[in-house]
Amino acid sequence: MSHLIARATLPGGGASQARRRANHNPRRRNRRIGLAFVAVPLVFYAGVVLVPLAQSFQYSFYNWDGVSRATWVGLANYIEFFTDPVLQSTLGHVLVLILFFSLLPIVLGLLSTALITRRRLAGMAGYRFVYFLPQVLTSVVVALVFKRIYSPDGALNTLLRSVGLDALTRSWLGDFTWALPALGLIGTWGTFGFCMVLFISGVSSIPTELYEAAKVDGAGPVREFFAVTLPGLRPQIAVALTLTITGALRTFDLVWVTTGGGPGTATLTPAVALYRAAFVNPQVGKAAAIGIVMALLCLVIALVIGRVSERD
Amino acid sequence: MARRVETTITYAILSILAVAVLFPVATFVGAALSPDRAGRPVAGVLEWSNFVTAWQEADFARAMTVSATIAVTAVLGQLVLAVLGGFGFGVLGVWGHRILFPLVVLGMMISTEAIIVPLYYQFRSLGLTNSIPGIILIHLGMGVPFGIFWMRAAFRSLPASLFESAELDGAGALRMLWSIALPLVRPAITTLMLLSFMWTWNDYFLSLVFLHGDNQTATVALGVFQGRHLTLFNLMAAGGLIVAAPVLILYVIFQRKFISGMLAGALKE
Repeated sequence: MSHLIARATLPGGGASQARRRANHNPRRRNRRIGLAFVAVPLVFYAGVVLVPLAQSFQYSFYNWDGVSRATWVGLANYIEFFTDPVLQSTLGHVLVLILFFSLLPIVLGLLSTALITRRRLAGMAGYRFVYFLPQVLTSVVVALVFKRIYSPDGALNTLLRSVGLDALTRSWLGDFTWALPALGLIGTWGTFGFCMVLFISGVSSIPTELYEAAKVDGAGPVREFFAVTLPGLRPQIAVALTLTITGALRTFDLVWVTTGGGPGTATLTPAVALYRAAFVNPQVGKAAAIGIVMALLCLVIALVIGRVSERD
Repeated sequence: MARRVETTITYAILSILAVAVLFPVATFVGAALSPDRAGRPVAGVLEWSNFVTAWQEADFARAMTVSATIAVTAVLGQLVLAVLGGFGFGVLGVWGHRILFPLVVLGMMISTEAIIVPLYYQFRSLGLTNSIPGIILIHLGMGVPFGIFWMRAAFRSLPASLFESAELDGAGALRMLWSIALPLVRPAITTLMLLSFMWTWNDYFLSLVFLHGDNQTATVALGVFQGRHLTLFNLMAAGGLIVAAPVLILYVIFQRKFISGMLAGALKE
């Protein structure tokens, strides 16, 4: 550091003159000061995110219990992820969750956006406030709310009994078949409002001329939706898909608080499997491999959806 | 006439969906105020003392203090980092930005799961697990990508001529930032602070991994409380509302900023 300063203040010499001239150019000087500015956050970012990311790769090639010496196992952890039936099943669970976290909220959001009028209405802010509420609620609280609703004497069973469907009542989160869809519906509840607010704001930026032109062409509401609204909402749909699919893939809090992955492994997700492998019953290399696979899947999902949505 | 029908249909749909969102929350609030252990509402009785009992029994005073310490420190720290980074990338320009900026944006796509394992074991060897400064450090680092992305956009929306004339007057980078840029981006700063408060306060995963015992945050303490007292649902619901309250109160006051911020953040615009 000190010799740098000394060199900059030394008189004469080609290099230092060039440097001085560079210092006179305000843009160049700014770029160096700019680097000093961003260096501070970059150090934090590198230490907490980038370095551990690289280490995750490294860890994933080892077998380590967190205490004793690690041994190199090559791709074994990755092979295990895709061949172990329990770990494999987590990907199947994610597919079910995507149905509930992603497709259902987006379809619901599009449907309601299509059905409501595009004119500004009084009270819209109030509705938006309500629809967004699940987004700001702590995930643990959301989990508790629904854990209660699904419990044997919870609201859902009470409702079923009151309409005479006693045969359908059960402990929803303790049921091998129903626990996963029950969890999925919590996701539907949590995300459809977000999708809807996103779509409504998107529709308001579609030029009204397009709707007028559709009307002149004699398009009914259904054709208008497919010809104008749906194409116009493409960027918003892409964003909603990306966020909700990666959200489904990364589900942790909800499962950990309600079922812990059970009954059996019926609601086990990759993130819960990672947590168990990393901290409950340490197989650190395996946990790191799960994390890397999840990150790559998220990246691929984001890139593919981004590509497809930009193509005409 | 058709217009009125359309309006009625719209309100009907909006209201049905609003009820669908509110019903589960309402049962929870009802349970929190119920004298019944199972949380069934009792007509005419509102048991406000549930909040006091839950506060004392679950040691929420301690957990809320931990959460508040982490959230407030992390929000202020993230803000400083975001302003420095955003001003660097957005106004000053950065030597090597062609590599550095994409590297920062990439961070918004890196999920916690991809880094949590080494992060934990490295922090353990540094003695930073189960430590409040340790988890604040993690929140700071993980908040950098969105913070820089957000503040850079805010600074870039200011007219460049503003800084050019300040430069001619001989203002240094720090003065430009402090006396010209910062006062103008106050709305963006407020939104960033609200969002990062929400994210740190509501965090469950990091707290669960890194903090134990007396260092548990409110969200984790709530999870532990519900595991132990399954039969005291009214107290659990009261505890849940206590934990959710700080963000909810901010949401009621600043709802526009929350919604616009989250939409803009999602759209990355």
